[in-house]
Amino acid sequence: MSGVYADLTVVELADRRNQWAGKLLADGGARVIQIEPIAGSPGRWCGPFVKDNTDPDRCLDYWWNNTGKESVALDLKRKPAQDLLRKLLAHADVFLESTRPGTLAKLGLDYDAVATNRALIYASLTDFGQDGPWRDYQMNSAAHLALGGQMSSSGYSDPKVTPIGGQGHHAWQMGCAFVLHGITVALFDRMTSGEGQYIDVSIHDACAIGTEAAVPQWMYYGQTMYRQTGMHANPRRQPPLQLPTADGKYMIAVMQNFGPRVWERLIKWMDEKGVTGELHDAKYQDEAFRMSEYRTGTVIRDAIARLIAASNGEECFHRAQSYGISWGLVHAAEENYAIPHYQQRNYWRSIEHPEIDRAIPYPRGPVACDALQIEPRGRAPRLGEHTKQVLQQDLGLSDQDIASLTESGAIR
Amino acid sequence: MNAQSPVRPGVLTGVRVLDFSWKTVGPWAPRLLTHYGAEVIHVERAGGYDDHRYNATPSIVSDEPKVAALPGTKKVYSDPQFNTLREEKAEAPGQKKLYAAPYFNTLHHGKLAISLNTRNPEGLKIVERLIGMCDALVENFSAEVLPNWGLTWERIHELNPRLVYMSLSGFGHTGDWKGYRSFGPTAAAQSGLSLASGLPGKPPAGWGFSYLDVMGGWMGGLALMQGLLQAKKTGKGFYIDYAVTEGAMSMLGTYMLDYQVNGRRTRRPDFPPGNRSIFPAIAPHNTYRCAGNDRNGQYWWVFIACETQPQFESLCTLMGQPGLALDPKFATNEARVANQDELDSIVGRWTRARRRYDIMRQCQAAGIISAVVQSAEDRVEYDSQLQHREMHPIINHPELGDCAYEGYPVKMSRTPAFVHGRAPMLGEHNSYVYGELLGMSAAEIAGLREREVI
Repeated sequence: MSGVYADLTVVELADRRNQWAGKLLADGGARVIQIEPIAGSPGRWCGPFVKDNTDPDRCLDYWWNNTGKESVALDLKRKPAQDLLRKLLAHADVFLESTRPGTLAKLGLDYDAVATNRALIYASLTDFGQDGPWRDYQMNSAAHLALGGQMSSSGYSDPKVTPIGGQGHHAWQMGCAFVLHGITVALFDRMTSGEGQYIDVSIHDACAIGTEAAVPQWMYYGQTMYRQTGMHANPRRQPPLQLPTADGKYMIAVMQNFGPRVWERLIKWMDEKGVTGELHDAKYQDEAFRMSEYRTGTVIRDAIARLIAASNGEECFHRAQSYGISWGLVHAAEENYAIPHYQQRNYWRSIEHPEIDRAIPYPRGPVACDALQIEPRGRAPRLGEHTKQVLQQDLGLSDQDIASLTESGAIR
Repeated sequence: MNAQSPVRPGVLTGVRVLDFSWKTVGPWAPRLLTHYGAEVIHVERAGGYDDHRYNATPSIVSDEPKVAALPGTKKVYSDPQFNTLREEKAEAPGQKKLYAAPYFNTLHHGKLAISLNTRNPEGLKIVERLIGMCDALVENFSAEVLPNWGLTWERIHELNPRLVYMSLSGFGHTGDWKGYRSFGPTAAAQSGLSLASGLPGKPPAGWGFSYLDVMGGWMGGLALMQGLLQAKKTGKGFYIDYAVTEGAMSMLGTYMLDYQVNGRRTRRPDFPPGNRSIFPAIAPHNTYRCAGNDRNGQYWWVFIACETQPQFESLCTLMGQPGLALDPKFATNEARVANQDELDSIVGRWTRARRRYDIMRQCQAAGIISAVVQSAEDRVEYDSQLQHREMHPIINHPELGDCAYEGYPVKMSRTPAFVHGRAPMLGEHNSYVYGELLGMSAAEIAGLREREVI
């Protein structure tokens, strides 16, 4: 294996919170052994499923979040299974877990108990970290977007309408970003010190610093943000920036400076669509006046809204961008597949799926970099697909040992 | 290095990063390294400044000056979105003074700041010398800016074969759209993130802040750490082309696969489903209005979800309606999902008159998922968990006095991360960088200043 995490063995205790972090480690070349309960990771049961038929081996959310991992199914309530995990950790580089604080200590699998492997980096990604008054609260990813502040800033301008959290597993992913910081820096350190360490990341802490200016705005000015439809929350109400196009889509007309060249082209475009209004007036040639009007008035904003309403979305996006205007079109995720730009950048990775007799193009990931080589390398495992192989090859168990463990229900 | 670094020692001590980033997503990425003791040198243009310093009125220090009103400044406005790098030519205020905007102060904390005129050949020489003594270089300009300075990847690699160079942009530095520009909301829109947030049948709600400047910055910071790790292993530098929209799409992988396998699009009438959950389909799973409203007159809300039957039964008991759990309309999760409009009104009637933190505490005591929709005020003032975890540390600032900051959520046992300082003042570390690191004499530095190089 090559890649930034090549030659590492990661043991991951299956959980919906940490699986994206484990995926990125596997994508970076690590060997990631996911320890699942006998009934399968909770991540296998959420859907969507292939053809909407519930099947833990055909959960698309699981497929996406577990590329390239190995699956070992153990019943950690049983002592023999706990011993197997302990033995795996004795030779692992990284342990990634998201159990409720205190759970693993009861099994003799907390950091102090397994740190006889001095090189082990033991990373806990939990809802609230290992301590604090809310430590044992019940959460899910959407609940974290509420508590962490993302929802409070997002939604609609109508003050009576609910705040909104984006669909997906964003809070868990934010936590994963930080646990990966910790793991990566700990690996950097271990190259010189030879020592691993314990890492405690709280998803709530991560979300709470992830609302851009909202917290500084409160801390320094005591100001509260207004939610605004499709745009930034702000201490003052502002006119809309998310504007409907002629073909029923939405442009995000981000505010920016209109220098003389950009302005000239923008006016020409408005002329073409017959929406320029009074903007030919000489006063708009003065950039300071123009920008002040744009910022505080309605004439330029209204003309932009008319321009966008008279244009189709794609046309609007490309024309604006070709003029140096950073507007974006609200796309659907799946529409990106058809965009040549991402194909030219070799963004899609073809992953074979024997379950459906074909390959699926997976997103590569955030960075294009041959030296780091972080990209999906293979499909997610079937439940318990590697149990036997890992127990035999890594732990030296015999066929007979495995048969009796299987019979007792300790492994699958 | 003999020079005494102004940076607190940590696990990344000895790592030096040249930071040409501005706005938000760029600065976040190298900022993360400061928590581990890396020396991050934020370069601001001589005679200019990072416009996030001024992105608020009033400034932290005082209401004056509004930058747009400064005499002799034609193109710099107090609101950053009107300033573009290439067209901005304003003189900085006469004396060195920080009119720090809150977000700049938070975003750049722990960095060093130098001023440098990169349009001056002498200034570019200094950039080349700095590249020679740094481990990483980060920028979020448009794709053509560095090559226009003569700094192609080949040239950068020649100057320092060990250096990791990361460009951070909306669409990446290759492909048809490499010239396209993007801010956080542009990238969120293009990637599909904005569309996946909102109520069905309503315009997209999107994200009420640049989620991709935040999360995109964190992923960029991760890529930098990964780059430093790989360079430490191999001794070789390389180029990282980080495109924020590509990172965003990889947060939507499940929906991509659903489209590929099941042909289901995220652009469909019943998606997104507000705060409800469709994968898995469970109910109740929503926000509910509570008693009261915030300072701006926006209603207060609490999030409640029941993922298990016992949770739902506990909720019914808590609401004083234990019979609900036996009602065929709500007895199973499947039935609850089918009847969730009615169920949501029942739960909403219960929460409506109650106080949001009481609801959360009572639900949590009964094992039910519940969370107050917390504003910034709520998190800073009333969140006992964040207080316990010390997520808003106080740090002294020479001009501003003691200020509160946002902390860093990684707690490491052997090599602790830390928040070690305020944001730098304009050009504050010129003498450290030019004098101590580059070994220039006071007279040389004065000469550079006179020739407007720094």
